[in-house]
Amino acid sequence: MTVRINADLKANRWQENSRSAALCSNVQRRGFARVFPGLSILKIPALAALLMSPAVLWAQSGSGDSPGINSGDYNIHQTIEAGYRANFVNGNKDTYDTFENLGSGLRLFNYSFEMRSLDHKGFLFDSLTFSNFGYGGDPNDVTRLRIQKNKIYDFRMLFRRDKNFWDYNLLANPLNPASLNPPGSPSSGCYATTVGTPPVVAPVVCSSPAVAINNSPHSMDLVRRMQDYNLTLMPQSRIQVRLGYSRNRDEGPGFFTTDGGTISDFNQNYSYTTNAYRAGIDFKVLPRTTISYDQFLSYFKQDNVVTDNPAVNPQNFGYQLANPTGNGTPNGAPVDLGIVYSTQTPAEVLPCAAPIVTGTTNTANPTCNGYLSYSQVGRPRNFMPTERVRFQSDYFKDFEMSGSLGYSTSDNVIPDFQENVNGFTARTGERGSTTSGPANAKRVSVNANWSGVYAVTAKLSILDQFRYDNWRIPGAWALDETNVFGTGYAGLAGLQQSEAIFNAANCPLGSNAVTCPQHTTTSAADVTTGLASTFLGQNLKSNTLELQYDFSKRLSAHVGYLYTNRTISQFSDTNDSGLVYFPGGATASAANDFLAARGSCTEVGGALPAGCTLNTDGSVSFVAPVAAGPTRSLTTINENALLFGFVYRPIDALRITSDFEFGYNDNSYTRIDPRQVQSYKIHASYKVKTWATLDGAVEIHENRDNVTDINNLEHDRTFSFATILMPNQRISVDFGYNYWNVYTQSLICFAYSTSVTNPAPPPATLPVSSFPIGVPMLPTGPACPIAGASSPLGALSTYSSNDHFAHAGIIWKTTKRVTTMVGYGGSFVRGNTIFLNPLTPSGTLDFNYQKPYASVVIELYRGLSYKMSWDYFGFNETGATNPFGLAAIPLQDFNGSNATFSFRYSF
Amino acid sequence: MARVAISTALGLLLLGSFLSAAPWAQTQEKPAATDKTVPVVQAKTPPATSATGRAEYVGAIVCKTCHEDIYNNWEKSPHWKTTLDTKGGPSHQGCEGCHGPGSAHVAGGGDKTKIFVFSEHSSKEINAQCLTCHAGGTQHMNAINSVHSKNDVSCTSCHSSHHAETKEFLLVKAQPALCYSCHLDKKAQFAMPFHHRVDEGLIQCSDCHNVHGTVGPKQVRASSTQDAICFTCHIDKQGPFVYEHSTVKVDGCQSCHVPHGGPNPHMLKLSNVNLLCLQCHTTSFSSAPGAPSFHNQSTFFQACTLCHVEIHGSNFDATFFK
Repeated sequence: MTVRINADLKANRWQENSRSAALCSNVQRRGFARVFPGLSILKIPALAALLMSPAVLWAQSGSGDSPGINSGDYNIHQTIEAGYRANFVNGNKDTYDTFENLGSGLRLFNYSFEMRSLDHKGFLFDSLTFSNFGYGGDPNDVTRLRIQKNKIYDFRMLFRRDKNFWDYNLLANPLNPASLNPPGSPSSGCYATTVGTPPVVAPVVCSSPAVAINNSPHSMDLVRRMQDYNLTLMPQSRIQVRLGYSRNRDEGPGFFTTDGGTISDFNQNYSYTTNAYRAGIDFKVLPRTTISYDQFLSYFKQDNVVTDNPAVNPQNFGYQLANPTGNGTPNGAPVDLGIVYSTQTPAEVLPCAAPIVTGTTNTANPTCNGYLSYSQVGRPRNFMPTERVRFQSDYFKDFEMSGSLGYSTSDNVIPDFQENVNGFTARTGERGSTTSGPANAKRVSVNANWSGVYAVTAKLSILDQFRYDNWRIPGAWALDETNVFGTGYAGLAGLQQSEAIFNAANCPLGSNAVTCPQHTTTSAADVTTGLASTFLGQNLKSNTLELQYDFSKRLSAHVGYLYTNRTISQFSDTNDSGLVYFPGGATASAANDFLAARGSCTEVGGALPAGCTLNTDGSVSFVAPVAAGPTRSLTTINENALLFGFVYRPIDALRITSDFEFGYNDNSYTRIDPRQVQSYKIHASYKVKTWATLDGAVEIHENRDNVTDINNLEHDRTFSFATILMPNQRISVDFGYNYWNVYTQSLICFAYSTSVTNPAPPPATLPVSSFPIGVPMLPTGPACPIAGASSPLGALSTYSSNDHFAHAGIIWKTTKRVTTMVGYGGSFVRGNTIFLNPLTPSGTLDFNYQKPYASVVIELYRGLSYKMSWDYFGFNETGATNPFGLAAIPLQDFNGSNATFSFRYSF
Repeated sequence: MARVAISTALGLLLLGSFLSAAPWAQTQEKPAATDKTVPVVQAKTPPATSATGRAEYVGAIVCKTCHEDIYNNWEKSPHWKTTLDTKGGPSHQGCEGCHGPGSAHVAGGGDKTKIFVFSEHSSKEINAQCLTCHAGGTQHMNAINSVHSKNDVSCTSCHSSHHAETKEFLLVKAQPALCYSCHLDKKAQFAMPFHHRVDEGLIQCSDCHNVHGTVGPKQVRASSTQDAICFTCHIDKQGPFVYEHSTVKVDGCQSCHVPHGGPNPHMLKLSNVNLLCLQCHTTSFSSAPGAPSFHNQSTFFQACTLCHVEIHGSNFDATFFK
């Protein structure tokens, strides 16, 4: 049938073409005459011949895009834009690099290459397109390649490189107090206040030293390289095969912090790699039906290494240990006291009250929290196979459906975790620790969905969508932890004592040699082995039923009901299956087995309790009784939502669309999960003229979890409009405005001591700042209203942010060969929040972020154009950036300009 | 005898009615206008002008006679390959694969009423026309769940076979400008200092969203492991971990982060990290443990994540220290 039709067509084609040509000519002639009534039709061919001359066209259009060159059986077209960017930045360069990271230098801004078979019968391929941008030093480079041969294959490649530099001050230590005798202070001491009766002048809010954290303690300079390859075989056949490979590699230096008594900033070398393989097959053999099967295999590996030692990051080790005795830790050993210094606040002192030995400049207090070295390495390996079947069919009249079924597992194995801490933790008296042990976590996921729509009539449709999603994550870690205690040399303390190694030589049986690890009665076990078991899972079933009705050509609506049932299950349990207590300590005696009988093995009535055994080397082992299994917590949530929306076209030029959702949930998993949901979305698009378009949109989301002890209320509201004007081919104008308002509140409970008051800034006549609204002072203020809460103070935590975003752009072809572009984009953010301490800087609550730009493009000759552009970046925080009484924190502000000069050639 | 004859006739009549109304498979040969059920609409069928009463297919080369510029541009586009699809017949080939049989249009001297003109049809009719071929594509399998379709957005709102600005996917405008033309607020979010690199061209809206429709909300894709799409790039946060920060897996990344761009570092929802944490870690109606009493907010002023570093999940510490 098909062949005969084609043959018939071939036979008649000359005649058809002639008739069509004649018809076409008539239409064109009539149309032409209407537009150009004065021009004789006889002159058209000559004029057309002239206009069709490539040379004339080329010159007329300036450079534009070249049609390429024909070489052999291919048309080849290339464009290249290269040049130089000059970058000028004032202010905080780290913030600029975090936001923009555009530097100076030669750049390949853009390159494209295209080969197209002229007769669609290319030897290896019919078309090849290649494009890239950003090479030469820009933080984002993207390369795309597509090669295809009709009916045989379609190959696509995508390479992306993302240079992710991050060093934005996260206010890690925002309340870093000023130092002794800061500028403007009284002649001695630090800022003081009077408390108590009779009044006592107490130094408060001082630190010696006072070191503001000016950089992000989690700064990083990573490079992420993402490669994606996709090959489709027989792309136009009824059976298609798809193969794919992706690689995601993220690596680079960064920092890691941890709390071992003091908070230090360790070097972390990030290294993550994922290799993912895909294979799929599509069957389109059944009429109007597609069935697909996909197999995914993903391999993830992580090789992060965290280190802190004088050789790797000497900048951390600014202090030295004094120990001239010759015993214990060597004299002059470099010490890392951490990055947080607050030495005289009442409740929290870091790294200790007096980190520096009096009378010295860089000698660390040995009894202070500090590190001599740290290392951590763990190499997770994760294998994730996934199988998925999908189908789509409109085989049956008036009925279409689609669905999928997927099964995925993930096996994350860490066989060799190792953490070594060599330092001193004052609160436990420990001289270090090692932690190791294999860990394993799995994820098993089953998900399925089915959707169907039935056309009851030409105007009415019923849609139903069912979704099932079940995943579970069991995990286990066989932990092996050794707490290291120091030796007991006379006259030495803390870091001066070396790490004691328990063995027969160092700690003979029945003795308390100075080389024994020194414990107290409250010291933790020296060795802990155990098994941690965890589980987290969710079972979700959801169904949406919807009716769609077309009232008329201009009005249609849909109404629906969504029901979701979720059950979240979890538990976490750690069984210390074995503890070992080593002997040694100042209060060691035969009565307490030289302090080996402590903790779970404290003697009762002169005997070790059940489960404890005195070993031949003098240590005491404890084997915990088998505990009952953990209690699994279950949270079940039923969600109900009414859905509604309409599309209205009162006139052809105006379209109004809307979607509304009103939901209620009978439970919540977290305190900010909404129990009530309201969503309103309205968008209007009005084509005032063929060259003028107006768009406006309102989007409002309201969430509530208004249980008494939570009082959570959130809203996210945006109001925006935009317009595009293109009155002719020479000028285009667009501008718009967006207002984004975010508000969130919830009742929180936290600990807060009131013995800290704000310093009286000099001169003393200025008022002392008060606590912010919502944070009442104890004991007169309301306590946390939640029974059994671990923290005594309650407050309504609020956060609001108002963002005004304005943008405008003009593209103007001032002359035939000159195009000018001017534009602007600016964000103005003003916010408010509760301050748990009034000295906290406002951070990103208030700032302006502006980016005007301009460019001129001059078309020089035959595909060659020259472009000059200017881009400005300005960021400035407008809130309270440096509250009085704090060690000064540099502003995050910056302003920078990029001037770019480039040539673009199309050939 | 008469009863038998009447009964037989009635039975045959009933059977014939049933057969004609039965939901049998549709014919292989696609008519000029599709009668696909989703979107449910009958596309306009050009009135017949030939002797048989139906328009017939004339071939793309005939269309070129009058529409040479459009043809030359179309020949360089992926849709030219439809001319190679002989199995589907002329209804799936060339210009007439989209516009329907052209004989009546040609005979009528270019009469637009005798051909399927996309600009003169509703979005449902346009979508039905395109999905005739594209319905089973990997990106279109959930087209019946498309929020765009439901809101009167047609395929030609974003794609153009003849006037595409981009060669890939034949878009009328490149991303993200195309998406910003309707999603006005997203332009403001990506203009924030902390944002996903969409404006820089590193990622596109369609990397995270399947604009043709998905089963999940907001037309967000899933990763290859049927998990959140975020983990496709942020692979280190995927886990699974022995100690999960459960809200990450249960409620998703958006429980703490805004997905497009925001004013706060790391695109967090609040400017102060401690307030974000305390929203959940306050003992009441929460599976999350409350902040302990020794976390004194007046002097314990560090951000929570300074110590609780592995906040997305840890294999070795229940409090996410390592």
